[in-house]
Amino acid sequence: MEVLLVRLALVVARLLLVTAAFSQSLDSDFTFTLPAGRKECFYQSMKRDASLEIEYQVLDGAGLDVDFYLSSPSGHVVASDHRKSDGVHTVETEDGDYMFCFDNTFSTVSEKIVFFELILDNMDDGQSEPEDWKEFVHGTDMLDMKMEDLMDTINSVKARLGKSLQIQAVLRAFEARDRNLQESNYERVNMWSFTNMVVMVIVSGVQVYLLRSLFEDKRQTRT
Amino acid sequence: QATLFLLSLSASLVSALYFHIGETEKKCFIEEIPDETMIIGNYRTQLYDKQKEEYLPATQGLGMFVEVKDPDEKVIMSRQYGSEGRFTFTSHTPGEHQICLHSNSSKFALFAGGMLRVHLDIQVGEHTNNYAEIAAKDKLTELQLRVRQLVEQVDQIQKEQNYQRYREERFRQTSESTNQRVLWWSIIQTLILVAIGFWQMRHLKSFFEAKKLV
Repeated sequence: MEVLLVRLALVVARLLLVTAAFSQSLDSDFTFTLPAGRKECFYQSMKRDASLEIEYQVLDGAGLDVDFYLSSPSGHVVASDHRKSDGVHTVETEDGDYMFCFDNTFSTVSEKIVFFELILDNMDDGQSEPEDWKEFVHGTDMLDMKMEDLMDTINSVKARLGKSLQIQAVLRAFEARDRNLQESNYERVNMWSFTNMVVMVIVSGVQVYLLRSLFEDKRQTRT
Repeated sequence: QATLFLLSLSASLVSALYFHIGETEKKCFIEEIPDETMIIGNYRTQLYDKQKEEYLPATQGLGMFVEVKDPDEKVIMSRQYGSEGRFTFTSHTPGEHQICLHSNSSKFALFAGGMLRVHLDIQVGEHTNNYAEIAAKDKLTELQLRVRQLVEQVDQIQKEQNYQRYREERFRQTSESTNQRVLWWSIIQTLILVAIGFWQMRHLKSFFEAKKLV
């Protein structure tokens, strides 16, 4: 009787493990250049009752801002931002292709660099095989019961490490933005100081010349 | 082996992001990565069919040019692929690598006024590891494979942190240099102003004295 219970528990644990491995969260991040006066749109196919989270940041370009909007497959605009430097939006999805666009049409000269990260949850309906490597695994492990616990722990560590990598990506985006800002700061200081000095020298020369010419022309009006 | 490749290719592109690209348009993506990191990009193209009014897989002749530039603006890869393809490269210097895609179509009528739909997926670092192959080659049990995955993930995190330390140092150098330069430029400008003031007054004084006005 006890052996039967243990066997049942084992089977249930295995099933749970397998389903836990299947419900995955997919994410991808991209950094792209958005030329001045242009709009770039991206599309993502979604299933019903999944969740889509989009996080974006402007990394470079005067003003560090961009227009953003996210629209559902039916054409409704579910989220929109006007000239923001960064933003986060989460939506519960329906079936179809979601479109999100970054709009730089308000700027005529400056090209922007935009970073965005898409986090999709519950995309899987249990039918696809994301971890097909299981077929290629050799042998069995001893002590099945303890192994299930180990596997649970390892899975949770893997999920957390994945989250760490995501956070690193976001931090990297922040740092890139700050660095770009600093570098443009540096160039600005150099350029304007030099211009300032040139203007000063020219203005002083012009002043002296004007004053001299004032007194020299008087010769004609003096009788 | 072939089935493995096809499986991984289609699986990663099924829910991939897509965007539209015009015939002469070039779309560029930036990947900031530490050195010795591998990047694998998968793409799939579809062309709009006016008769069926939907996007169908592109014709054979249509391909994409993929060009990769390293942080020093040097081209490290410039190749043409078919309508569906996978490109790989490994970074040798840490920094911002630029991946640019544009279509190789020379006949402007080919797109029929529409756009080419490109599905793109870029995998970086440990995401590029094909665990199916690794399990088969090293004959690993499931537990061993899981632990191997964890080790690779931690490796990637460590590499990223080292790169972060290097970037922060460069960032600090730029900040300190800017700070110094602001100080020096201000001092030099003040000195120049004072010197010019003196010169002006002296020159004008001698000028007026010569003109017998003073």
